[in-house]
Amino acid sequence: MFNSQRLFRFKKKISRVINIMKHDYRTYVGGVIILAIFISAIFAPWLAPHNPYSTDVVNRLQGPSLNNPLGTDSVGRDILSRLIYAARPAIYVAVGGLSISVFFGLILGLSAAYLGGIIDKLILFLFDFIRAFPPLILILVLLAIIGPSLISVIIILGITIIPRYGRVVRAETLSEKEEDYVESARSLGASNFRVVYKHIFPNIFASVLVLGGMDMASMIMWEAGLSFLGLGLQPPLSSWGVMLQESYQYIQTAPLMIVWPALAIMLTMLGFSLFAESLRVALNPKTSQEDRY
Amino acid sequence: MFIYIIKRLLWVIPTILAVLFLLFSLTYLLPGDPADIILGPRATDEMAENLRERLGLNRPWYQGYFSYIRDVMRGDLGVSVFRSRPVFNVVMEVLPYTLALTFAGMGLAVINGILIGLLAANYQNTWFDKFLTLISFITASTPTYIASVLIIVIFSVNLNLLPSIGLGEGGLLNSLYYLIGPAVALSIGWTGYIGRLTRSSMLETLESDFIQTEKSFGLPRNYIIYKYALKKAIKPIIAVIGLGVGRLLGGAVFVEVIFTRPGLGRLIVDSIFERDLPLVRGGVLVAALLFVFANLLADISYAYFDPRIKQE
Repeated sequence: MFNSQRLFRFKKKISRVINIMKHDYRTYVGGVIILAIFISAIFAPWLAPHNPYSTDVVNRLQGPSLNNPLGTDSVGRDILSRLIYAARPAIYVAVGGLSISVFFGLILGLSAAYLGGIIDKLILFLFDFIRAFPPLILILVLLAIIGPSLISVIIILGITIIPRYGRVVRAETLSEKEEDYVESARSLGASNFRVVYKHIFPNIFASVLVLGGMDMASMIMWEAGLSFLGLGLQPPLSSWGVMLQESYQYIQTAPLMIVWPALAIMLTMLGFSLFAESLRVALNPKTSQEDRY
Repeated sequence: MFIYIIKRLLWVIPTILAVLFLLFSLTYLLPGDPADIILGPRATDEMAENLRERLGLNRPWYQGYFSYIRDVMRGDLGVSVFRSRPVFNVVMEVLPYTLALTFAGMGLAVINGILIGLLAANYQNTWFDKFLTLISFITASTPTYIASVLIIVIFSVNLNLLPSIGLGEGGLLNSLYYLIGPAVALSIGWTGYIGRLTRSSMLETLESDFIQTEKSFGLPRNYIIYKYALKKAIKPIIAVIGLGVGRLLGGAVFVEVIFTRPGLGRLIVDSIFERDLPLVRGGVLVAALLFVFANLLADISYAYFDPRIKQE
């Protein structure tokens, strides 16, 4: 009975969140942009009008035309096709990096809260250590150590964001641990694993979801930035950052070329942050269903 | 409050020791033998062995670590491999440019952000408020490098109003002119953030009891806003400035590379490409120290302006 009541409350909470989000324009604008990125990542071969790697030096640096809707780059590749294909590394980095930071954040945060004592202190120190560096500079140094590639970008971005999740998980676990219902579940003989799975997870789920939406955006942003500096993904791979880097040299002669990947990155950031913002507002218990904005 | 500050100050020591440890271990972590990288392919084994001895690579790591700490405390950051000059001098030469850029960017973000936020709060729920909120949302989610690139494309290439490269020759006025584009680019993200923060803080303050009391006395609206509400609403903004300075130091890397300005960030990126280990170490150390210091200020100002934090 205890359990079904909690399940009922959980379901009610979710339907309340969905109800608030349904009436928020940010949900739709953000959702459409995120959906568009996922669709172009999955269906790139069918959506792209040309092969993103086939060069055509005669028609280099062309403006928009019927054949190349957004023009061609410095070796005559179709910019639109490259933009569409570039959604793939962006999604790899966002999903891969987030999985790493959420996974280790959960493990470290839970261990810190449950084991306490010296282990708690050590884990907190590890988090503070990672946060002691300016984020970009830590990423640059780590990339210099293991060398630039898609995998290393995913791993490093994941590592640098672990403390955010670790701290949230630790704080929420500590406060949930003191709640009466967790105490009573324990006194009934529930194992640590069961307590975490049944009681702690549903409670930290909301915070992790909001943070995750924003961090997916910031990982896509970092990936493009690193590739722009030449320390992330490497040409000729199609990535928005690589495209920025390639077209930066032509910024004086063909300025339109750099605008397309820049717009793609901006839209992506905007989409993820709009959606995360609408989620945050809806999850905030202070937001009533009447005043939604 | 006092105890909190002391605790926070003491916390800086282990943080810096840990930063030094990571930088020290770079010698062992970077791919390739440091002696070979420094000497190049034509070096004999004997030369490499001599250099290893001189760099202390043959000693056990903890001895190396302690002598590294001692050197750093004396201000000796080693000699740059490619520039053949003391790292300390190289870093100090470019540091002022980065600091000027960071503070100019933060200043712009604070001024514009507060202005946007106050206007939005003043015209709450009108189309003007919605427009300003949208603007702050878009700017808050614009990466620094996108802002830099768009500023160059629009204002340098198309309108020919701003320079896109370098520091500007001679004269304070010219330097300021060359600083406009980079500083605006750096400020964009935090302008939106501070704008949103100001709006919500202002609205919260205007609804609080003491303002309602002032209203019931019949004081004019503008008088209440500027005399009482602003004073209280501004506190959370002052509290995040320290945090912002730390963040903008990272963003400055992109601005310096894109606008081709000398600076700490660009120095670090260049030295990574040149595999100039002492310079990477020195540059990162100074950047990390600035960041630790900015975070320290952020935490203390936060505790000062938002006393609830002290209990933690």
